[in-house]
Formats: sequence, C-alpha cells, structure tokens
Amino acid sequence: MTRSALTPSRGSSLTRGPQPAALAIPAASVLLATALSALPIVSNHGWWPDTGLLMLIAWRLLRADAWPAWLAAPLGLVHDLMTGAPIGLSVALWPAFMLAFDIIDRRTMWRDYWIEWVLAAIFIGLFVIAQWRVAAWDGAPVHFASVAPAILIGIVCFPIAAFVAARLDRWRLGR
Amino acid sequence: MVASAGTRPGWSRRAQYGLFFGFVATVATVIVGLLMLILSLAAPQSYAAVRGAALDFVSPVSNALNEVATTTTGLVSGAGDYWNAARQNGDLKKQRTAMLRRMIEAKAILLENQELKRALALRERDRRTVATGRVVGSSFTSPRRFAILSVGKSDGVEVGMPVRAADGLIGRVIDAGSYASRVLLVSDRANIVPARLVRGGLPVIATGRGDGTIDVRPLEVGRNPFRKNDIIVTSGTGGLYPPLWPIARIVRLDDDGAIALPLADPGQISFALVEPPFEPTAIAEAARPEEAR
Repeated sequence: MTRSALTPSRGSSLTRGPQPAALAIPAASVLLATALSALPIVSNHGWWPDTGLLMLIAWRLLRADAWPAWLAAPLGLVHDLMTGAPIGLSVALWPAFMLAFDIIDRRTMWRDYWIEWVLAAIFIGLFVIAQWRVAAWDGAPVHFASVAPAILIGIVCFPIAAFVAARLDRWRLGR
Repeated sequence: MVASAGTRPGWSRRAQYGLFFGFVATVATVIVGLLMLILSLAAPQSYAAVRGAALDFVSPVSNALNEVATTTTGLVSGAGDYWNAARQNGDLKKQRTAMLRRMIEAKAILLENQELKRALALRERDRRTVATGRVVGSSFTSPRRFAILSVGKSDGVEVGMPVRAADGLIGRVIDAGSYASRVLLVSDRANIVPARLVRGGLPVIATGRGDGTIDVRPLEVGRNPFRKNDIIVTSGTGGLYPPLWPIARIVRLDDDGAIALPLADPGQISFALVEPPFEPTAIAEAARPEEAR
C-alpha cells in the first residue's frame, strides 16, 4: 500500500502539483477570451457577449488574488485594441471594476452563486452602458433599446464564463 | 460560502505599504485610462498607427477562420437549394427572361447617356477599384457597426475611401493597417450619407440606426415622400461617395421619414471593393469633421 503510493504514477493526486505557469493562467485566459473577438462573425447587431469582460469578472469573483488590480489596465488596453472600442474605455473601467470588487469583498458577509451572478450582472450592465454613452459622445447616439439585449445576453452567458474560470483554476492549481 | 476577505496585512508594515501602493497604482491606471479615453474621443487620429497595427495582428485569425465559416454556411444553404428545385427553376427562368429584356433597355439608355454626356462635354475622371477584399469580421460586441476588411495600406487602401459590394454601398474606411482595414458601415449611427430617391430623385439623408437598418429623412420638410420598396442611391454630394451607388430599400414608413434595409448585407457579401473617393479633395474634407469631433 505505502509502496504503491510512493511510486510516481501519472495522474495520481499525490504527484499532481500546480502548473508551471499557474500565476499567469488567469490573465492569459482573459487575453484568450478577448481574442475571440477576432472570430469571423459578421453581425448586424452588437449583441454578442463580451467574452473578455465575462472572463475578467468570473476570475475576479472566484479569486481576489487572480492578478494584481492594476494588471486589469493592460488587459483592458488589449481588449480595446482588439474589439475596436475607443482606446481607454476598458483601460479606465476594468481597474475601476477591480477596486469596486475589493470594496464589495469587504462589505459582503456571505457569498453564494446567486449573489455572484447578481454582482456580475451589475458589472456587465455598467460596462455596456458605459460603452453606449461613450459611443454617443463619439457621434453615434443609438437608442438604449438597441443595446439592452447585449446586457441580457451577457448576463445569461456569465455562468459559462464562471464555469470555465473554475475549471481552469482547478487545473492550474493541480487539484 | 464566506466571502473571500481579500488580503489583510495584519501588523506587517511592509505588507501594509505593499497594499497601499498597489491601490495607488490601480487608481493611477484608472486616471491614465480616462485620459486615453478623452484623447481618443477628442483626437481619434492620434491612435491611427496603434489601431492599424492591432488590426494587422487580429486579421490573420479572422482570415483563416473565415474560410471555415464560409464553407460551413455554404454547405447548409447549398442543401437548402435542392428543396423545391423544380419550381425554383421555373421561377428563375421567368425572372431571367424579364431581366434580359430590362438589360437591353438599360444598355440602350447607357448608350444614349454616353452620347448626351459627350454632347454636353461633361468630363468624368477615370475610376478604378483600389482593392478587393473580403469582410472577415465585425464589431459584434459594441453598439458601433464596424466591419474588418482583409485589405490594407499595402493594397493601397487609405482612411476615408468608400467601400462597396456588387449589391450596394457598404461604408467607408476609418482605420487602415498594412494588411487589414476597419470600415464604418452605413448602418452605424455616425455614418451620414447624402442620398436621393431613385423614384423622382428627391434628395434625402441616410443615417445608420446601429442595428443593421438605416433611417432615411427627406431634406425638405413636407409630406412623407417614401413608399415601401423604394430604393435610395448615393447622390455624390459632399464628394466622398460616388453618385448612383445603391444604398438601401425602404421597408417601413414612420412619421416624417422611413426605415430602410441596406442592399449589401456585410454578413452575406463575398467581396467588397474599395474605391477612390469621388472627389480627391474629399479625403481632407472627411478628415476635418473627425478632428473637430
């Protein structure tokens, strides 16, 4: 019994440890999710979920120490460049979201799945509304009704991002 | 589950400073981000090089995957064509004979037109397509309507050039990288196209609505001049878009205007043609309001 446990075997829980790049995996997964905006989807509506933002929120809700809060700014810059949003929108908003999450972490006593979903819904809504206002200042004032579906779709898609983040976290830590 | 309490430094002065400077750094990045945003709203041209480089970085992925997507959708719609093929065939033959008749008429009109223009000694510059590319992506997560085109500066594309498909106007180039460019679609709210009604030639203004449709208003206030299925074409006013490019078909009337659907759907077209601006001075004119904005 003891001997069989000591012989290194692939995949056993004893020999499994954190991945070599465990610290970089959360940020890398956000970058990868952002890169999904390069998919050849030609849509007449801007209603597709913002995968980069969803991954960012999912990781931050899962772990307070996924990355230092300021790292959200460079991630946001990549997001702005890839999605063609006005440069600076995500650079300003993403670290601001990190600060808001820090405050929320101090104030909430209990956390369960529903509270996390509500928090995610609030931040997805804030981002889409900010994007809508900035587009209006940039000369494209569309009706709110034409961006509201984007909020709903983002909220509905959030559990997928939360699931992916949770699985990635287990894998990177070797659990 | 208890909330993750975040990092509590305890009595360690070192850990306390670490947390505090982390907070200061984050606030600083927020301020930097706001400044960048103000700059990109006030002077969009200042980021032209960076945005072009980002486009070049993104477009190979879109290009490669676009082939896969086209093949897949082609298989699905190809199978659909076999359904009810005999009746479709009959309909198409009928349409074809009607089209042939119209085409001969059109050729005669063209000839007459050329003769008339010669008589008037009206000179028109030689117009050649700058580049032909595919629409390989779009801004599918934002309220703005942009498309990504697989041609860039190395093919001669410049910011401000109008883009069309065989079916009609698509938009104009707003960012150009070396191998890809970003097009402001006619359905974007910021894209305002001087146009006219084919039936009667009444001047109208076409503005995007941000959801794939176009808002059309007559220049002169009065009775609503639109009818369902009317076609609007570019008027050439302003010098950016050449005249008589088809833009959209009216699908619904409202109080003092109408809502139209672009004839060239960027999701359906296979090729987009980048053309030189109608009047060469138009690029300077088009660049000016961008900076003033």
